[in-house]
Amino acid sequence: MKQLISAPALFVGAGICLVSGLLLAFLYAPVDASSMGFSQKIFYYHAPIAETALLAFGIAFVAAIAYLRTQNPKWDRLGVVCVRLGLLFSLLVMITGMIWGKAAWDAWWAWEPRLTTFLLVCFLYIAYLVLRSVVEEEQRRATYAAVFAIIAFIDVPITFFATRFLPEGLHPVVIGTGGSGMEGSMLVSFFISMLGMTLLLVALIRRDLAVEDLKDRVADLKHSIGG
Amino acid sequence: MAILRKDLIRELRTREMLISMILFVLLAMVIFHYAFTVKEGADLTYFTGGMLWVTFIFAMLLGLNRSFAQEKDERCLDGLLLCPVDRVTIFLAKTAGNLIFLLIIQVVAVPVFTLFFVERSYVGDLLPFLVVLLLADVGICALGTLLATISMNTRSRDLLLPIIFLPLIVPVLIAATGATTLIFAEGAGFGGLLARVLFLLGFDAVFVVAAYGTYDFAIGE
Repeated sequence: MKQLISAPALFVGAGICLVSGLLLAFLYAPVDASSMGFSQKIFYYHAPIAETALLAFGIAFVAAIAYLRTQNPKWDRLGVVCVRLGLLFSLLVMITGMIWGKAAWDAWWAWEPRLTTFLLVCFLYIAYLVLRSVVEEEQRRATYAAVFAIIAFIDVPITFFATRFLPEGLHPVVIGTGGSGMEGSMLVSFFISMLGMTLLLVALIRRDLAVEDLKDRVADLKHSIGG
Repeated sequence: MAILRKDLIRELRTREMLISMILFVLLAMVIFHYAFTVKEGADLTYFTGGMLWVTFIFAMLLGLNRSFAQEKDERCLDGLLLCPVDRVTIFLAKTAGNLIFLLIIQVVAVPVFTLFFVERSYVGDLLPFLVVLLLADVGICALGTLLATISMNTRSRDLLLPIIFLPLIVPVLIAATGATTLIFAEGAGFGGLLARVLFLLGFDAVFVVAAYGTYDFAIGE
């Protein structure tokens, strides 16, 4: 119950940060001076979502190791919750990335290293969910899922690195403006959005864990009345 | 070692897996020829690396499913698990077995492929080519063996393997395809391939260690 009570506070905090991040991005931060211009504004949401997605998969990775060491089902639950949320955030990364791509490169899709990596990440973690769905026995499912989560997370940076080998092709404008050209006001807006997104992730994880708990309790109760 | 010998002897007796894998690989080449020749005298040189590795990865999927289906169907695996050996030894033996099968297939497939598709002689680059081939094979087999062990214990078995195997193997595909195409098309010595070769080496090291560490859990009770 405690978790359920604290979740709304987190949601409110995330909401305040995200809204103020958005306002700051449009009203306070200057329009990007380089070629990207106004379309750069989506950066204040796109990049925090991407980092949050990776954070979620990172937590799933740690949870997977913890599960294999302790065999405690709570780690498995944390793992699956994080993968589901990470996948959701990854889809948002792809969508915002495509919107940006349309503005920056005039193409909805480009085989750009980051975009390509996120596409593969999506496939990897969809595969994780498929893997879970075909194993009935709980302990075995948790173990396989943990092994796969570890291997998958190791594969992510390797894939990103490998995509660098591909020919650059039509799109020399790679998004990597990162820290280089960011002014103070941009950084502030950016970090507030990032904080908001991270809080949102934590809030969602807690809520989902609470839901999973309730599911378990319902299952137990059903069992106890002979259902 | 004994496990490896058992797998090899078994395969040499029946030959069912090798023959179908070799046929599959040869058929895939013929299919690729028809699929990619869009006009008279089309130059396929820059597709060669891709064709070669797509073929090998798909052939390996077939082989991996077979190699564990037999274990499972005839309950050999239960026997293996009862043996007083480290679970990880089973992993190494299985990986080595799969690697040997893949190499046997390649001994047949690569000359035929060269005959069919490669116009330039790459004898001078034979050594780099073999290095790339071997490094990529090790990565494919180590990762494949781990994932096949997981998938054979699930309800959907051979359906699951491609879904979990293909996205993970993409880095190897990218590096090996790039390196092989360079060799076939332009002839690059070790210098031009160095980054890719090192990458494959790193991939192998990381995943052999990762698979080694997790195999105990994958093979189950």
